[in-house]
Amino acid sequence: MARRELISGPNFSGRSGALMALLRDGALAPESFYIGPYSEAALSGLTSTVADEIDIYRARDRERPAKAAFAVLDIAALGRREPQTLSGGEQVLLALHCFSLSDYGALAIDTALEQLDRANRAAALDWLDPRQGSVETVALIDNRLPPALPGWHAIERAADAAAFACDPRQMVAALGRHDAPAIEIRGLSFGYRRGADIFRSVDLTLEGGTAYRLAGPNGAGKTTLLKLLVGVLAPNAGDLLLGGERYRPWRSGNRAIALATQNPDHQWCGATLRDDLARRRAAFARHASALSDARIATLTAALGVASLDAHLYELPLAARKRLSWYWPLAGALPWVMLDEPSLGQDMATRDRLAAAVGELTALGYGVLFVTHDDDFADRIPHRVLAIGGMQVKAM
Amino acid sequence: MTPNGAFAVGFVLIALAVSNPGPRGLALLVVLTLAFALIELRGAAAIALRRAAIVVLPLAAFMGLVWVGFVGEAPYQIASAAGGTRHAALAYVGGLCGRLFLIVAVAQLVVLRFRALTPLQLIRALALPASVKRVLVITLSLIATLRHAIDRAHIALIAAGTLTRAASLRNVVHGWRLVQAVWLSAVTIVLGRMRDKWPVENTVARLDRTLAGGEARLFAGADRIWLPIVLGAGIVILLADRIGGAF
Repeated sequence: MARRELISGPNFSGRSGALMALLRDGALAPESFYIGPYSEAALSGLTSTVADEIDIYRARDRERPAKAAFAVLDIAALGRREPQTLSGGEQVLLALHCFSLSDYGALAIDTALEQLDRANRAAALDWLDPRQGSVETVALIDNRLPPALPGWHAIERAADAAAFACDPRQMVAALGRHDAPAIEIRGLSFGYRRGADIFRSVDLTLEGGTAYRLAGPNGAGKTTLLKLLVGVLAPNAGDLLLGGERYRPWRSGNRAIALATQNPDHQWCGATLRDDLARRRAAFARHASALSDARIATLTAALGVASLDAHLYELPLAARKRLSWYWPLAGALPWVMLDEPSLGQDMATRDRLAAAVGELTALGYGVLFVTHDDDFADRIPHRVLAIGGMQVKAM
Repeated sequence: MTPNGAFAVGFVLIALAVSNPGPRGLALLVVLTLAFALIELRGAAAIALRRAAIVVLPLAAFMGLVWVGFVGEAPYQIASAAGGTRHAALAYVGGLCGRLFLIVAVAQLVVLRFRALTPLQLIRALALPASVKRVLVITLSLIATLRHAIDRAHIALIAAGTLTRAASLRNVVHGWRLVQAVWLSAVTIVLGRMRDKWPVENTVARLDRTLAGGEARLFAGADRIWLPIVLGAGIVILLADRIGGAF
């Protein structure tokens, strides 16, 4: 019998725990397929090619009725790729594809659909729609859906008022004006493999005091562009200028951009917030605005974290995501780049974050953000940069 | 040729290289390996040779510098205290690195012989106990996890201004932080999987079922030609330098 569970509520209300309880008790099915918020919990981690990932989950029992296939990804083209090298959205699409070929009785998704672009998200939600009959049993957590949907059984979790009260606007409130220098991209080309360029001869100028939304479908290269600007990747050709001067972060190091990664665990450089912060302060001592201890105390309090000595990996995922904003919103560097900042965040927090980003821009900071969350983006006055056809164009 | 046959041939060739054959034996071993490479892999053999060269050449250069440049004698000459020559040192380094090159090249040849298969398909085709196959897959998975963790730590430390992508003094000073971040990341990734994904899905049981599927033939086809050739040639290689003038 078809069953749909939609678990809603604010962050830290125990939604993920409720989902896990359904799965562990076998309440949905004897065995369920689980897609967690990030790659470690979306993919099996047992394979080194996309083809093998599919092979592990493919149903062997020919008697079992097959589900409707969810085939959005071009599997033939991606078969030899390492699953971990796919973008976050592509990993979720791969996981959905694996489930659709499997003999699992139920599917559980913890905020993973928030990583999908508009078209892929619509396709996924349509596929999960009870009226389609494609999938029998589903449990879903998604911050961008209303708490009640036709055909879904709603499980509403109550807020825990004491937990991680977070207001990013407080972080920005004490900042002064900071006129960010323009970043000019000149003739930039890049590809991970020879003959497979993602960008070719891109020319673009990013002005300080402006928020830019980098838009494009899953796998288009949005995160790759951020990595190029920060110096994690080196372009095959082209250059960057910062304030009119040549800037090569891949050689001399990043000195201008505070980055919050899509998966917060990709950005810690210490086991505790105190370690992480100490390293950043040391690394940017010559370039960043001074960050006093008093200011740090304000910042962490605004994000709802009482102690700087809390072990980062022991905090809930949504709290780690919030802490990933602390360095960009501290205002130490002139440019702020945020990769899917609203992922996994409830509406109230998302709205406060959008307000903080808007205020940061008004103070003269440059902001570049990637998001598939249109509601979040619409709350920030911004310009759109569209990625497509190996180009990045200002719209 | 089956993967089992290729691995058996590779094992014999590597064992022969390790057995320290003399110059004649080594020459025969090179001819045998090249024959295997050209017949079984054709053009792809060049990839295996190139990869082996990338691995061995830096070591050869370092050993040449130490033994030929600084020491000026072969180790056996030092042991006998009879005085030595740079020529002997060069022959020692050449022989050692030549055998190492052969070992790496053979390992590459065996894997490249089945480049059309995915890693999982290759392991599934091996006639090994299920537990050994599972260990192989999980070992590969751990390697992939470590690579992923290195990537994560790199992103974190470069974005945080601690390291640079290009070689720099900063990287030397702060390299230990990369090691720390990699281990922290690797442990977190593995724990995340084992806590949430695997128990719910019974993922490892799925892996066992996948590995059990299909037919793993022990030896077939060209295996039955190559194995006798390699074993026969092996005896000749081992005896080549002991029978004076016979070859």
